[in-house]
Amino acid sequence: MKLSRRLEGQTLRKLEGSLFIAPWVFGFLTFVAFPLGFSLYMSFHQVKITVNSVNYTFIGLKHYREILIANGSLLYEELFPFLRESAMMIPIILVFSLLIAILLNLKFPGRTLFRVIFFLPVIFSSGQIVQEFIAQGEGSLSIMETLRIDYYLQEYVPGAWAAPIQKVLGSFVLVLWYSGVQILIFLAGRQTLPAAVYEASRIDGSSPWSTFWKITLPGLVPYIFLNLMYTVVDLFTFPSNPIVSRVNTTNYGSSSALAWIYFTIILVFVLLTLLLYSRVDKSLSGSKR
Amino acid sequence: MGLIDRTDVPIERLNRGLKLRGKLDLLRARNLRGKLELLRYRVLGTEIDKGLLFKAAVYIILINVAFIYLKPILYMVTTMVKDARNILDPSVIWVPKSIYWGHLKEASEMLHYGKSFLISLSLASSVAVLQVLSCAIAGYAFARLDFPFKKLWGALLLFTFIMPPQITILPSIMLFKSFGWLNTFLPMVVPALFGHGLKGALFVIIYRSFYSTLPKELDEAARMDGAGPFRMFFRVMFPIARSATVVVVLFSFVWNWNDFYFPSLYMFTAEHVPLSITLARMAGEMKIAEGAGELTVYAESIKMAASFLIIMPLLVIYLFAQRWFIEGVERTGLVE
Repeated sequence: MKLSRRLEGQTLRKLEGSLFIAPWVFGFLTFVAFPLGFSLYMSFHQVKITVNSVNYTFIGLKHYREILIANGSLLYEELFPFLRESAMMIPIILVFSLLIAILLNLKFPGRTLFRVIFFLPVIFSSGQIVQEFIAQGEGSLSIMETLRIDYYLQEYVPGAWAAPIQKVLGSFVLVLWYSGVQILIFLAGRQTLPAAVYEASRIDGSSPWSTFWKITLPGLVPYIFLNLMYTVVDLFTFPSNPIVSRVNTTNYGSSSALAWIYFTIILVFVLLTLLLYSRVDKSLSGSKR
Repeated sequence: MGLIDRTDVPIERLNRGLKLRGKLDLLRARNLRGKLELLRYRVLGTEIDKGLLFKAAVYIILINVAFIYLKPILYMVTTMVKDARNILDPSVIWVPKSIYWGHLKEASEMLHYGKSFLISLSLASSVAVLQVLSCAIAGYAFARLDFPFKKLWGALLLFTFIMPPQITILPSIMLFKSFGWLNTFLPMVVPALFGHGLKGALFVIIYRSFYSTLPKELDEAARMDGAGPFRMFFRVMFPIARSATVVVVLFSFVWNWNDFYFPSLYMFTAEHVPLSITLARMAGEMKIAEGAGELTVYAESIKMAASFLIIMPLLVIYLFAQRWFIEGVERTGLVE
């Protein structure tokens, strides 16, 4: 009797939960899972669209072979430099947004004003406007020209990396523009570190420098990885990404194959991030004990 | 800060010493040293982050970065009000000598501003409202309710978050085409109704992390008072998540307002389009005009005026909402 009632309560709870999650699950199946499966299906087919119908002819891995081997210019000449560029932008974005978030967390007069200004990129950076600014050359730093950094780069850095470095430095301001959300995440994360710990370390006579390395940074590790993931995802859907415009309606089959190759690369990135995170997390919790 | 401020220590010791000895010259010497010490503390601080030097450094960094963020906006506003004389005048770099509103007018005509503004507004706000509701429900379920295969769905939520929209865009176009939804707003609005749409997964994650920080007793108390699950959600759980809601509403509205990718693919031949599309169309027109050798001097001013017209509503909203927004960011687990 008692057992059955408890069971009943449990199923009731499950039913409630299912009711709440049902819309999301439905949406997932219709707008994510189905298109995902269908694009995988299309990537193995030659898709021909006629007026009334769509014809699929199975061609196996031909699209993949074409993109990866036969006609690799898109992947190797456009995507790889972009990936190298992102690989350099990610640490810059992370360090910069961490620095700004910590500064914005201090108490000083005018803090609110600065916070208002520093959240502005969240508003701009998603739109066409940034594209306009890139076109206007607002992304570059004038120091670059005055110090002739370009010249030194060409001289001392191997060719494959010189161009992306140059591009990152050239759009350095833009990199800062893309760190709006990251600053937010760090700022919110910093709020979760208890003030008591800082008080204790102060009383023990720890310098702010070592407080940062021993308390703030380890405490922010989960947020660093969250930001890393967010940045990876964000950069891969960047408007200047060469792939984004290539996935279009001219050729459904090969576009789908391209999207899948691209997605696999992202997944590898994200999984590497997660793996690194679990390692760091483990070693941190190990050192605490 | 703490119980004993360290600046007080040397002065106190000094005073005690004075009372015992009471010698005038000694007092002077000590006083001088005390003052020097005080000065050192003022400049360098008891801890580094209290000193003037550190504060100056903080301000220098922040003002510099703030300038980087503000510069394009300033550039936009000043360029937009320059007429031909001011553009060609080499002595005018930032501040124009006279203000000219013609570019704004021209840009608003080219953008069909009145109509597109209303379209953008209704599209972005309806998506934002729907996303807030549906993502709050889903996030709440993920954080506090029990349902079959919860772990699996949670993993799929993360998967949705990291998945680039490019991979599902083509089948989605075909899907919406078969529904007859192309060139309408439905492809943007309907997924939002189910907690998806533009960055829907991120919003679900925000709500989930907010709800998982609340104490368990809250549910139990409401349950004991006899509230059903729906009543509990709408009366207790949804209002309590105000700070998360502010963040989600603002993000959702801004991103949908700015979004170019989805509308450009779902409504490419539509007549009634949001501002982001009209801006792109306008840029295309101007490029053609430039190729034909027309409007060269004004082009930049008009472009900036158009950009300003698109950003301005967001700026106004942000100025009103920033207080709650910053508070919300601080208070939510915006993050896990």
